[in-house]
Amino acid sequence: METTSSQKNQTIVDRVVTRLLVDPTLGVLALLVLICLLAAFTLPVFLNGSNLYNLVNNSLVVMILAMGMTVVLVSGGIDLSIGTTMALCAGVTAAAMNFGLPLFAALLAALAMGALVGLGNGLLITRLGLPDFIATLAMLGFASGVLYIWTKGVPIIGYMVPEFYIVGGLTPLAGPLTLPMVIALLVALVLGGILGFTRLGTHFFAVGSSKTGAMQSGVRVERVRMQAYIVSGLAAAVAGIIMAGRNTNVPADLGNGYEIQAIAAAVIGGAALSGGRGRILGAILGAITLAAAVNLINLVGVPSSYQKIVIGGILVAAVLANRISAVVSGKVRQRKAMVLEGIPA
Amino acid sequence: MNFPRAASRALSTSGVPIAIALVLVVVIFQIISPVFLTPGSVRDYINNAIPILLLTVGVAIVIVAGGIDLSVGTVAGLSAGTTMWALVSGAPTWTAVLVGVATGLVFGLFNGLMITVFGINDFIVTLATLNIAGGLLIVLTEQVPLQGVTTPGFSDLVYGNFLGVPTGFWIAAVIFALMQFFLIRTVFGRRIFAIGIAPGAANVAGVNVNRVRLGTFVLSGLLAGAAGVLLASRLGAVQAFLGNGYEFIAIAGAVLGGVSLAGGRGSVWAAVAGGLMLATLQQGLRLNGVDPVYFSIVTGLCIVAGVVFDRRIQQLALGSFRKRAKGGPTPPAPVKLQETHLLGTGKQD
Repeated sequence: METTSSQKNQTIVDRVVTRLLVDPTLGVLALLVLICLLAAFTLPVFLNGSNLYNLVNNSLVVMILAMGMTVVLVSGGIDLSIGTTMALCAGVTAAAMNFGLPLFAALLAALAMGALVGLGNGLLITRLGLPDFIATLAMLGFASGVLYIWTKGVPIIGYMVPEFYIVGGLTPLAGPLTLPMVIALLVALVLGGILGFTRLGTHFFAVGSSKTGAMQSGVRVERVRMQAYIVSGLAAAVAGIIMAGRNTNVPADLGNGYEIQAIAAAVIGGAALSGGRGRILGAILGAITLAAAVNLINLVGVPSSYQKIVIGGILVAAVLANRISAVVSGKVRQRKAMVLEGIPA
Repeated sequence: MNFPRAASRALSTSGVPIAIALVLVVVIFQIISPVFLTPGSVRDYINNAIPILLLTVGVAIVIVAGGIDLSVGTVAGLSAGTTMWALVSGAPTWTAVLVGVATGLVFGLFNGLMITVFGINDFIVTLATLNIAGGLLIVLTEQVPLQGVTTPGFSDLVYGNFLGVPTGFWIAAVIFALMQFFLIRTVFGRRIFAIGIAPGAANVAGVNVNRVRLGTFVLSGLLAGAAGVLLASRLGAVQAFLGNGYEFIAIAGAVLGGVSLAGGRGSVWAAVAGGLMLATLQQGLRLNGVDPVYFSIVTGLCIVAGVVFDRRIQQLALGSFRKRAKGGPTPPAPVKLQETHLLGTGKQD
């Protein structure tokens, strides 16, 4: 390929920066490495084996939520109810165990609840025509109200059979490996597989990129959107099951604030709020980055009350980077097209 | 549905349906519990409602311009916090009020600049500032005990008496009147509607869309600051989680008042009526001994009901419009309203 003068003038640094900006997953990886390096120099404790192990273990719930959120974001929606749904599903599992159901049935009940909430969101959006964030905001209020009334504000306890300690990762499965790690891996493989290799995955991207275009190509847009919300509801249920095991009790405010962490992790991982862009691997790295940042400020000795501010700040920075990435990749595409047509840039 | 034309026209006027519903609900509650309309009860519940009504109006202005502001609740909480902080530090009432309003202004400016300068989705920016303001209030309450203030004149902002009516009412009424005038009678106000209906067309017509959008977020921030000051004055002490969830009630109130989430439709008094409707429901449920947690479910249902009702009314109005146009040279095409506007988060690149 013919090299133009502008490409010759481009330094290596320029090219690396452009590459990092164009591929969000590479970008978040670079951010993660940067945080780790920064931490390694200032706080050697950070790179301690047990600290890193705890960090990954702590990020798993947000990671699973972020993967579900990524599917919804890819299809052009947003799910604000994901945190509350998680708490509701945790409550359902705990209550089912207390009711005397076997573990298997209790887990199934939580999954059914998650799917039901997802279906409810989907119906509000496609049948009643509510905007995504209003429908899921209403669902957030509704679900948290249901949980408060049901538990009367008293945390659900007494469901922690020994198997539940394994489910929550408090008792490791084999060696350092915990069941939540395995579950997160499975969720990643399933959702990554769906997004990357199935027709449904392609439809998610198509609907997120252009609803009209997808509709005109014969995609059943409303059904695909509904399926995206059911996926995020199921992801919330899986996270809720783990959360019930980890927390050993289910207070009514268990899921508060998790929706913003899930959105932040997904957006750090390169999912675009305008739809049609996002990766499961990005969500995983995003969740770990978020956990690393929180871990780091805890190690430095910043009180935990600052956590909300930090997460909010990270979210702003992530969207800003995301936006810059979109602009740069657009310019790169333009330049490539110009080179192909032989126009000197 | 065969509504008479006049009725359908009246119902499709922004704010009329909610006003009728409000009167009905008040009558029903008065029949159920006769203490509902006693002067003390009314004063109490309107006093409680005023800060949220201010937030409702701010959110309504942003929604009319086609945006959304989720940060109003915690910004109001933080403004209440900074107001108290100023008072605790020994500042006079007027300085404290300025500090509170300025806090709202700073957040409004930040939201608006992030959205207009960097082109970031308004929904995500305000979600982030929701957390930042909430977090700052938690930190502030840990540093300074925000209570025990006896600065003269501060509690009079809400509890004072002017012509037999509490001063809080006067302040709110003046702000609402100013906002209504601003929205209906000024060029800037009309531009807010224009960019809500069609930003592209407004741009072509010479409206600086970004500047108007920035203006709406600044207004919403200012109103949140004012709401925070009144909250601080009424409560006399500020807790760490003050304002959490108010954005939800504010959006629900605006939507109930017929402010269209697609942008371009709504008015200040309709939003106030919607907010009053929610406050009335809350008060009515409380007087009848219903657990306050049910209110969050009621609010969620009200949002859904408001949007569905809005769609029905629009179809109704469209129907009568088509009937009138029948026989004319070119009957308007059966446009499916809302469909295209309501999908997605309403952000366009």
